[in-house]
Amino acid sequence: MDSFALAAANALVGNALNAAVLEWALGGGTLRFDSECTVALAGARASGTLGGAAVAPLTTLRAAKGDELTVDHLDSGRFLYIALSGGIDVPIVLHSRSTYLPGRFGGLDGRMLRHGDNLRLGEAAGTAPPPGFHVPADLLPAYATGVVHISPGPQSDLFADDAWRTILEEFRVSSASDRTGYRLEGPALETSIPALPSDAGCPGAIQIPGDGKPIALMADAPTVGGYPKMAVVSEADLPILAQRQPGETVRFELISIEQSQRAARKRASDLHTIRHLAESSLRRA
Amino acid sequence: MTTSTLEAHPLGDSAVTIRFGTERSPALLARIHSAAALLAAANVDALDDIVPTYLSLTVFYDCLRRGYKDMSAEIVGVCESASSTPVTGTTGREHVIPARYDGVDLYAVAELTRLSVDEVINRHTARIYRVDILGFVPGFAYLSELDEALVLPRREEPRARVSAGSIAIAGVQTAVYPLATPGGWHIIGTTDTVMFDPNRAEPALLRAGDTVRFERAK
Repeated sequence: MDSFALAAANALVGNALNAAVLEWALGGGTLRFDSECTVALAGARASGTLGGAAVAPLTTLRAAKGDELTVDHLDSGRFLYIALSGGIDVPIVLHSRSTYLPGRFGGLDGRMLRHGDNLRLGEAAGTAPPPGFHVPADLLPAYATGVVHISPGPQSDLFADDAWRTILEEFRVSSASDRTGYRLEGPALETSIPALPSDAGCPGAIQIPGDGKPIALMADAPTVGGYPKMAVVSEADLPILAQRQPGETVRFELISIEQSQRAARKRASDLHTIRHLAESSLRRA
Repeated sequence: MTTSTLEAHPLGDSAVTIRFGTERSPALLARIHSAAALLAAANVDALDDIVPTYLSLTVFYDCLRRGYKDMSAEIVGVCESASSTPVTGTTGREHVIPARYDGVDLYAVAELTRLSVDEVINRHTARIYRVDILGFVPGFAYLSELDEALVLPRREEPRARVSAGSIAIAGVQTAVYPLATPGGWHIIGTTDTVMFDPNRAEPALLRAGDTVRFERAK
């Protein structure tokens, strides 16, 4: 859901940026390490301990054999990412190691983890930065603002000025929201668009059903759908939306596709910077 | 149809949707499938995926390597030479899907269409449908063309969860939900046929161009 947190957590433990990590939502839990490992937490802010000491977010941590990592609760945000050096060794299904819950495939047997599961790690590359390395705050998405940039979508021309004013008002993430989509509660958009044949969608697409209540498609988005896609969330800001909890506000700001792509390139270059800082701190250590 | 009708729209940072027309027709769909085949063979730099649909075709690409203007201009260029001659002869495979007509919306559909429940079922099983496009979730095939007496708009508020194996209708289409997902179609029945299995050599049961008939299960 939060691709920035996935990549940043991996950089902090010396993994490829797309190595398999744990995505952790809701509640607490404990991981026990059967072998030494480099660990990092990113995304949602968690209260927890590793080997008895409080965990710092976005920081390279070292777990000794037998150590326990306990997450007590998530203080802010919705999805916590835990990267482990070597990455989680699960089979590649349809070119991916991720879990697709609706289809019950990918990841560990296509399901959520359960108490007592054992996770195997891949071979660590030996490129993890030393413990204490952390991501500079100015390279993070502006999670706390709830401001999310959007660019006009494929059916943007079918919406009148009124609807374009409404979409820029304040919305709240509904409790009816998951990895497929976030329903947004707020003013209903004026829409009289006739039924359209289905066309392609993508994560971040904001579709407007007949009731005028926007739905932002998320990571498990349908590839094709029939509701008009008025706008699409800027990829650089999709992590900000992903981390909003039910009841929290979101405010959209409209930008051009060129501005949105520039922001995506900036985010990618920020991740390269984090990786570069991690590598140079490894050399200094 | 003239080529001047091609219109490019961004679908976020990493995709461009090329609209070929505003009215669906077999000729337009043939032209879109032809454009998809041309693009697949054209070796377009930074192209990741091609998704043909009823009125448009969407190309996913790497926006770190190419910007929207540059990418959309090349895609439109390739699409302009697509032909709208439908593929002749039946190259697709034929499938029969056993259906139990026990869907939660069956009675509502009968009411909305002013048909008896039996008549809804008879009209749904009478047709041989063609697979137009794949999409939505893995293995979801959009089948057409539904008996016009059964044509209804999508539900205004989509359901948060539709069970795997649900047989549904919306507009001139019918389909089987391969997985449990949210959905806005009217559910008229269920089937045990597995529409998608990632462990099969070809995970999706249906391909564009195949034909499907539903048979009422006893």
